[in-house]
Amino acid sequence: MTAVPSAATASRDTAPEPAGPRSTPAPRDGGPARTSRRRKARTGWVFASPALLTIGAVTVFPVLFSVLLSFADVRLEYGGFRIESLTGDHYAAVLSSPEWREALLFTFGFTVVTVVLELVLGTVAALVLDRLGAARGWVLAVLLLPWALINVVAAQLWGYLYNGTYGGLTWFFEQLLGHQPDILGQPASAMGAMVVVDVWKTTPFVAIVVLAGLMLIPDDVYEAAEIDGANAWTTFWKVTLPQLRPIMAIAVLFRILQAFGIFDLPFVLTQGGPGTATQSLAILGYKTLFQNLEIGRGAAVATTTAVIVIGCCLLFLRLFKAQADEGGRG
Amino acid sequence: MALRRRTLLASGLALGAGFTSGCAGKSLDTLLTQAAHTPRTPATLTWWVSEIPARNGPVVADLIIRAFQRRHPNIRVRKSNALSTTDANRAAVTTQLAGASPTPDVYLGDTTWPAQFGANSLALPLQKLLPKDFWADYPPALRRVSEYRGAVYALPFFTDSAFLFYRKDLLAKHGLPVPRTWEELLRTSRKIQRAGDAAYGFLWQANVSESLTCNVAEFLADADAPVLDHAGGVALNGPGAERAFALMRQFTETGVSPSTVTTYVEADSQDAFVGGRGVFLRNWSYAWGNAADRSVSKVAGRVGVAPRPGFDGGGPPGVSCAGGWSNFVNPNSHHLGAAVTFARFCAGEEAQMILLKNAGVIPALQEALTRPEAHKVGDPTLTMAHELRLVARPVQTPYYSQVSKALYTQGNAVTGGRTSPARAVRAARDDIRTALEGRAL
Repeated sequence: MTAVPSAATASRDTAPEPAGPRSTPAPRDGGPARTSRRRKARTGWVFASPALLTIGAVTVFPVLFSVLLSFADVRLEYGGFRIESLTGDHYAAVLSSPEWREALLFTFGFTVVTVVLELVLGTVAALVLDRLGAARGWVLAVLLLPWALINVVAAQLWGYLYNGTYGGLTWFFEQLLGHQPDILGQPASAMGAMVVVDVWKTTPFVAIVVLAGLMLIPDDVYEAAEIDGANAWTTFWKVTLPQLRPIMAIAVLFRILQAFGIFDLPFVLTQGGPGTATQSLAILGYKTLFQNLEIGRGAAVATTTAVIVIGCCLLFLRLFKAQADEGGRG
Repeated sequence: MALRRRTLLASGLALGAGFTSGCAGKSLDTLLTQAAHTPRTPATLTWWVSEIPARNGPVVADLIIRAFQRRHPNIRVRKSNALSTTDANRAAVTTQLAGASPTPDVYLGDTTWPAQFGANSLALPLQKLLPKDFWADYPPALRRVSEYRGAVYALPFFTDSAFLFYRKDLLAKHGLPVPRTWEELLRTSRKIQRAGDAAYGFLWQANVSESLTCNVAEFLADADAPVLDHAGGVALNGPGAERAFALMRQFTETGVSPSTVTTYVEADSQDAFVGGRGVFLRNWSYAWGNAADRSVSKVAGRVGVAPRPGFDGGGPPGVSCAGGWSNFVNPNSHHLGAAVTFARFCAGEEAQMILLKNAGVIPALQEALTRPEAHKVGDPTLTMAHELRLVARPVQTPYYSQVSKALYTQGNAVTGGRTSPARAVRAARDDIRTALEGRAL
């Protein structure tokens, strides 16, 4: 199967060198040119400063402030708050709490299961969509509907279906099983129900990303595979999938980030119950911060979650890169 | 690039530190001086108020605002609509208050909030602004929950009491009396269920939320099992507590309550009851109005109301969790004097009579319940309210929400059959201890 790497390399090699006028070469001596460059740089900073300030205000500051709070003993007082000391106590409390470990386990499990399911189903959907002719636009529009729904609305919708009193699905299973199932009231079924909603909602996203990837694969690669006598399965496994890998990596990264921060689904469907079975890290952070008013501890939950998700993403990227390198060498 | 990133980090931290030191508080004495006088100049207040259940249609909050503005023409009150559940409300209001927002000036909050809000300076301590005999006309349980470390953080508005609603027609058909004990309720339910007259016997609330804590607090009080001791330590233990937890399991085990009760909040249990699926319902007083409303209730005209049952050989029936909502004053308000005046007006006779006549809740002013108007309203929960034995939840700790979480998590697990009553009691006890020590998440 030499056709694949060579085709890929060929397509890379054919990329033209950027042509066109190069910027004026820098003069060797100081003088007017250098002053004008400095002035230009200054103007650049002036123009960029509103954007930098905005980014600082809405991204950098809240993140750093939240990290600061996670180490701080915060006392609310009339008209403001005071930071009394900076320690690592909140992290000790969070990391030693069984509730945090349960939340971590649920969030991690939920992420792995949903991401794998969505990747498989999304890829299948994309392959089907790729084969569709004129109907593709319509099918795509229908398929994208769940993705377009606001999360809370989707969760509420499914909440009605799962409802123990008048839920459509509860009624359906009652007819099927002969007794009323307690879908959201038992840990396993509540987790399953949540996975179903997430997969229903997010598979279209993966499908559309993968479809975009599929459309980018040049036809000559398939022609080369056909000449080599590859069957459909081998073509998919050895041609399509390796070509899709970078775009799938992006989809997976996005999904890991989203699934790890899952809040709205368990919040609307179960409030984290039954017991604490579907309490995600985001829900735990919310309850700690806003219900218990434990500001430092809530910030510590948020920070540990961020560190874990960044760690997961970096690990995934490293694994992906290692595999890609191995694939390239093989 | 590395240098720039470092500069950015350093400036972010410096900004954070600057912001922190710039948030110094105000003195309480200054605030109380401002709060002591009703202003003569025009002021506009924002009142954070959830929808007060109405009996006849008019929006109760608007009636109260209009009455207040007639008395104080220079003070305008604007309504800010609060969210529908206690927990969501607390999250929304604390976000605003912790950020030192001057609005809402007055906010309607749950009677479980004062200790937590007082400890975190989110409510103005009001006792110095009240006459000495202020509490004489309100239920003592309400006073206890409004105070924390000797300071009053909430002014009474209305109370909510729990009742047993029942299907008069079904009990009459089978010739059965209204049950006075839980054992009797189980027997009655099973008999009516077996006859195929109702899908379920008893509908209540076992979702992982404050709703279940109220139910657990009542079952524990029925079994004479305290949650905290006099010194504020954990007391939950022993056969009484296990009896209460075992009853919760018995409901689902025998099918008297649906297994889905573990996902029910008040609205779900009420929907099932007014849809004709249950014989008995535990709910707050407002359920009376909804059950009698023909546009939403299939069982209108066939519903009776009684105090909650007790245990066979246990204490007297009629235990009710002391629920309700009170007005809190935002210490950051720009109109503290006007805010206190409004909060006091809401606790006063005129506003309380508006509640009595128009709202599906029980006015906090006890004297209002004995007036002829109370009988004229035709709501038995109003006239029956004085028969109830109110029990306060263990709210006098700033860690109440963690204590509550310990109760509802274990209550939910035992009702769903995932743990035994004895294990649930032990786990709840451990969790409450951790909560009281300030170590729970």
